[in-house]
Amino acid sequence: MNITLNVNGQNKQVAVPSLDMPLLWVLRDIMGLTGTKYGCGIEVCGACTVIIDNQREHACVFNVGSAVGKKITTIEGLSAPGTQSHPVQKAWIDNQVPQCGYCQPGMIMACEAARRAGHHGTEILSELKHLCVCGTYQRIREAVKTL
Amino acid sequence: MATTNNKITASQPEMGLALNRRGFLVRALGGLSLGFFLPEAGHFFDLQAADPPPQQLANAYIRIFPDNTVTLLFGGCEMGQGTKTGLAQILAEELFVEWNQVKVEQSLVDPIVTYGTGGSSGVSRRYDRLRNAGAAARELLILAAMDKTGDTNRNNYRAQSATVVYTGPNAVSPGVWTYGVLAAAAALKTVPADLRLTNPANFRLIGKPLSRVDIPSKTDGSAIYGIDVWFPDMVFAAIKHCPTIGGVMATLPATPRGALAVVPCKASDTRGAITAGSVNAVAVVATDTWTAKNLANSLSVSWTLPASTAGVDSAAILAQAQSLMASGAGVLVAEPVPPTGYTPATYAPVIEGQVNSAMGTPTIDSTYSLPYVAHATMEVLNCSVKFAFNAAGAPASCEIWAPNQNATSVTTYAAAASGLLPAAIKVNTTYLGGGLGRKIEQDYVSQAVQVALVVKRPVKLTWMREEDFTHDQYRPMALVNVKAKLSGSNITAWAYRTVTPSISQQRGRLAAGAIDSQAVECARNLPYNLGTHVVEWVPSPAGIPVGYWRSVGASIHVFAVESFIDELAKSANVDPFTFRYSLLTDLPDNRARNVLAAADAMSLTWRNSLPAGRAWGVAIGEAFGTWVCEVVEISAPTATSITVHRVNCAVDCGMAINPNSVEAQMQGGIVHGLNATLWGQTTFTAGKANQKNFNVNRMLRLNEMPQITVKIVQSSTTAPTGTGEPGVPPVAAAVGNAYARLTGKRQRSLPFFPGAVMGGI
Ligand code: FES
Ligand code: FES
Repeated sequence: MNITLNVNGQNKQVAVPSLDMPLLWVLRDIMGLTGTKYGCGIEVCGACTVIIDNQREHACVFNVGSAVGKKITTIEGLSAPGTQSHPVQKAWIDNQVPQCGYCQPGMIMACEAARRAGHHGTEILSELKHLCVCGTYQRIREAVKTL
Repeated sequence: MATTNNKITASQPEMGLALNRRGFLVRALGGLSLGFFLPEAGHFFDLQAADPPPQQLANAYIRIFPDNTVTLLFGGCEMGQGTKTGLAQILAEELFVEWNQVKVEQSLVDPIVTYGTGGSSGVSRRYDRLRNAGAAARELLILAAMDKTGDTNRNNYRAQSATVVYTGPNAVSPGVWTYGVLAAAAALKTVPADLRLTNPANFRLIGKPLSRVDIPSKTDGSAIYGIDVWFPDMVFAAIKHCPTIGGVMATLPATPRGALAVVPCKASDTRGAITAGSVNAVAVVATDTWTAKNLANSLSVSWTLPASTAGVDSAAILAQAQSLMASGAGVLVAEPVPPTGYTPATYAPVIEGQVNSAMGTPTIDSTYSLPYVAHATMEVLNCSVKFAFNAAGAPASCEIWAPNQNATSVTTYAAAASGLLPAAIKVNTTYLGGGLGRKIEQDYVSQAVQVALVVKRPVKLTWMREEDFTHDQYRPMALVNVKAKLSGSNITAWAYRTVTPSISQQRGRLAAGAIDSQAVECARNLPYNLGTHVVEWVPSPAGIPVGYWRSVGASIHVFAVESFIDELAKSANVDPFTFRYSLLTDLPDNRARNVLAAADAMSLTWRNSLPAGRAWGVAIGEAFGTWVCEVVEISAPTATSITVHRVNCAVDCGMAINPNSVEAQMQGGIVHGLNATLWGQTTFTAGKANQKNFNVNRMLRLNEMPQITVKIVQSSTTAPTGTGEPGVPPVAAAVGNAYARLTGKRQRSLPFFPGAVMGGI
């Protein structure tokens, strides 16, 4: 069926097999927006985190039907392509956070959701529970303290 | 490699390129770019090529274009360890280009540039070769500049910021040429004997904490991992293995409604050959991964299980190891080296007799146990494949995108699965969302090729997390028994025996009766004076597939050795640092002593003023040529966890090419080690792995992260040694030693808190 999704400020027509399809796979497989990652599918790792109407959501369990009519922001929508100009991106680069980088889109989006809720520094840290198998936590901590 | 090893060989047949009269490979196809070959043998070649460059040009380490852009080709894989940046630093240093003038590009598979990434070798084993390549390119460019001035005195030239500057007496204006201008002419020159390698004291880039080249793209979603490869006309496959190890498909199920195909996937051996009849998985293909995995989950497949299934069980494997440990049947001596006339098997009774008589009653006799551990890379296994078919419908060529640690082996597997010649297979190495040793294997590549051949469309095959965790090639289990005799604080006898499966043996690559060096990695060649001693290995025949897990055998034996050393120190009533100092015999280079002393100094103040309820522990280990000593502070043990407050880490990795990356690798290695220390294990019941997702494979989260301080110790070694893995091994013993100090209870089994679970976020 055809639905309209508002992703990173643009309305897109998307054909989905079911409204129950998790947003993660609509973004990745149907729309080709692959910045949002799959890690566990069960809301444990956080790699799939996106922002929907300023709320942090886990796209691996968020049905696409519930995203219709809402504003979806993915990692690709944080700043103009190639600029990495968003404050969270800058903090991540300044602190040389990513190793493999696979968990980082989710980390960055969760961090941004916390900022949109008016949180700063160590307040944000207490909300960042995502997994990073590479163990970049210390540099995340240093980066978030500047935000 | 000797710095003057620049002789030109006469042929390089696999390249299929002609040699010019000076013995260089030259392609006069427009002179737009310049490339250099630096094959394993240490001989240089250069070539010119047109735009678009021929495939061979992508083989070179360096490409210089007329617009003065310098591209360094990267033949390994970037999985977060910073290799791409480290190698670029080395080449750019000797080429005398500025850091911002360099672009780093991933190379296609190539016999010269491509290498497998493992053993912490990404930078360390390429240091000399890349310095020479950079220097050779620079000297060729200077030779080209000599044609412009007529002055052949090399001392009248210097390379600087991708230009050659002339400082001699001849009248030339302006006397500065960009590399881009000189490139085409340089391609026709002969590499001189004197490469004038830069004095390390004058390094501009090597040894500097430069920003990693891959990081910006990892903050905006633009870095492409294997799982991100996407085409509009792509189809998506989800793998479903027989849940029981060793089971094979009995009958192919019908394609369910909503699926495009169900493809039987044959198992591949570890050289890529697919075994006739051994269909151990099916792939369900659909128009998206979610549909494919749902259909795979509900698909009912009948599997034929092997008779051995019941024995593929953690409890049975441990019992078998215990009985082998006790009986000593099949024991092989790994150290000392058996004298002439003895084999590792026949030497056992001889050396055991000597050790036993020196030992008498052991002062301490301890047994340590370690589990199988899954790799748990953040990015699950996946591979994308696109075939081109000829008019008759037969495969003509294929292109592969895979997160892999060994691109050459991807070609081998794809050739075996498709029947194509390697030349018809193009392999793209994407970014890896972690490798940790798992992506050295190419089982997932073989499957994706098999699926693409059937569906005849571009396909991406994904292992959902449950498949990734339950069909890993696990870090081997191990049982270790150590006995020692103390006289004062000296060890007079030491008997070390391990029962553990061999990765090489399981793959048919170990001669019968030979020692697998990885099975006893860090159990022998210890820096300690052990008196009369023996190190023995009993191969465990357990059938769980095993593989290379970050730090391999060191992850096992540093835990056992360093825990035991602390047990001895306690028995001798000597401080753990003092005890180690007195045993160290690692002269003349003193690298072990230096990292121990550095960690001692880092931790001295805090560890001697810890409040009640806290304790410290130390351990030291060597892996891949690098020495690491870690001191941890812990508190608050519960039934499922412990708080690790800080880790002081002293590392001697030889020349630290990029200290920023070294620090990151130590931090990451420590977290990897802590996960395995506290919670990590895969257990098996009747042939099936029990841990299927992160919720039952607990890992450290941000709020549990200790504060890690890394000190890079000035090394007596000038070449770089490994950094990706050596941070891992010491942490388990350091935490165990702290735990014993805190609670009086010695943890001899990993993980310390089995069965811990992890809640949602
Ligand atoms: S993939 Fe959604 S939380 Fe892990
Ligand atoms: S950077 Fe690799 S998992 Fe976080």
